Amino acid sequence: MANGLVIAASASLGDSLFLIVTFILLLLLVKHFAWGPVIKMMDDRAKKISDDLDGAATSRQQAEKMAAQRQSELKNSKSEALQIVNTAKENGEKRRQEILTAAQNDAAAVKVKARNDAEQARTEALNSARQDVAQISVDIAEKMIGKELNAADQKDLIDSYIKGLTTADETR
Amino acid sequence: MESKYQYLTFLGLRFNLANCLSILITAGLVFFFVFVLSRKLTLKPGKRQNVLEYLIDFTNGIVKSIMPGDEGKPFYFYIFVLFTFILFSNMLGLFFQVRVGGFTFTKSPTADPMVTMPLAMVTLLMSHYFSVQKFGFKGYLSNYVHPVGFLLPINLIEEFTNFLTLSLRLYGNIYAGEVLIGLLIMVAQSMGLVSAIIAAPMTMIWQGFSVFIGAIQAYVFSILSCVYFSRKLEREE
Repeated sequence: MANGLVIAASASLGDSLFLIVTFILLLLLVKHFAWGPVIKMMDDRAKKISDDLDGAATSRQQAEKMAAQRQSELKNSKSEALQIVNTAKENGEKRRQEILTAAQNDAAAVKVKARNDAEQARTEALNSARQDVAQISVDIAEKMIGKELNAADQKDLIDSYIKGLTTADETR
Repeated sequence: MESKYQYLTFLGLRFNLANCLSILITAGLVFFFVFVLSRKLTLKPGKRQNVLEYLIDFTNGIVKSIMPGDEGKPFYFYIFVLFTFILFSNMLGLFFQVRVGGFTFTKSPTADPMVTMPLAMVTLLMSHYFSVQKFGFKGYLSNYVHPVGFLLPINLIEEFTNFLTLSLRLYGNIYAGEVLIGLLIMVAQSMGLVSAIIAAPMTMIWQGFSVFIGAIQAYVFSILSCVYFSRKLEREE
């Protein structure tokens, strides 16, 4: 008990006060010079890391989107090229058909015209020959008979004769 | 083994010169240590910054092991300073005991109950403060009769036992270490060179063990502070 009293008597309350004041000062100083900046740096680092991760995810997404877009564009251009080639082929075919048709038409027209011409020439030649033959026959008959026939009668006679010839000719 | 101290009296208060000097030296060392480590902070930490951040992570881990959520955030800084301060003061007496003319001038400041008591006092006052802040004064008072009313005296006594155990545990451990070191030094001085040769390895072993004890006690003090904080911040239903 006496010993306890000695301890109590020798206890110096000033130390406690001194410790509290010093400790609070230490808290303030450490907070200002070390804790604040270090914690700020640690928080910044944590924030930066999470930001970087987010950024990486975003840019990867973007890259994937762009790749998909490029892929679809490539597919489109392929089909477009195919279409162009097909159109060209079709056009060529059409053109060929047109030229062919035109040529055929031309050829047919030329043929028809030539036939018509030939027919006309033949008819004309036949007509003129018929007239000539009639004239010649009349002349010969005049000469041979020496008798002046009525020209109209003669002509009728010869025409009927020639008609008989031509029918005979056609039937043959 | 007796150590004599010089006392100063100022405004009716007695100051133990050895304690005051040791507290000043410890605080200075802690500040110097932390200050040097926190220079040239970069996003990509250098060696010194890494040491400091490791220490901070360690003390934050002490708080998180008791209070895992956001409620532990206000205590991170206090526990960091408390832990480093107690660690440094425990170590100071092991390496740095100055005695001039029979008077001790530096020792472990934590080897004195008048130093460990205010430390425990600060912790417990903080726990009461945060409890009032969280529950309001009525809520804080009603915590003493939770979960049942007849526990009121036990809860009240617990406040004092918490204070005493927290401060005296630290004091006892460090004081015992210092006493034993003092005894070993006396042994070394008793019979000249022969006893000095015998006492030297024993002193070394005990100093090593005291380093261990000092670190453990700093850790225990910090973790018990967290336990008291967390107990005041939760309501027992």
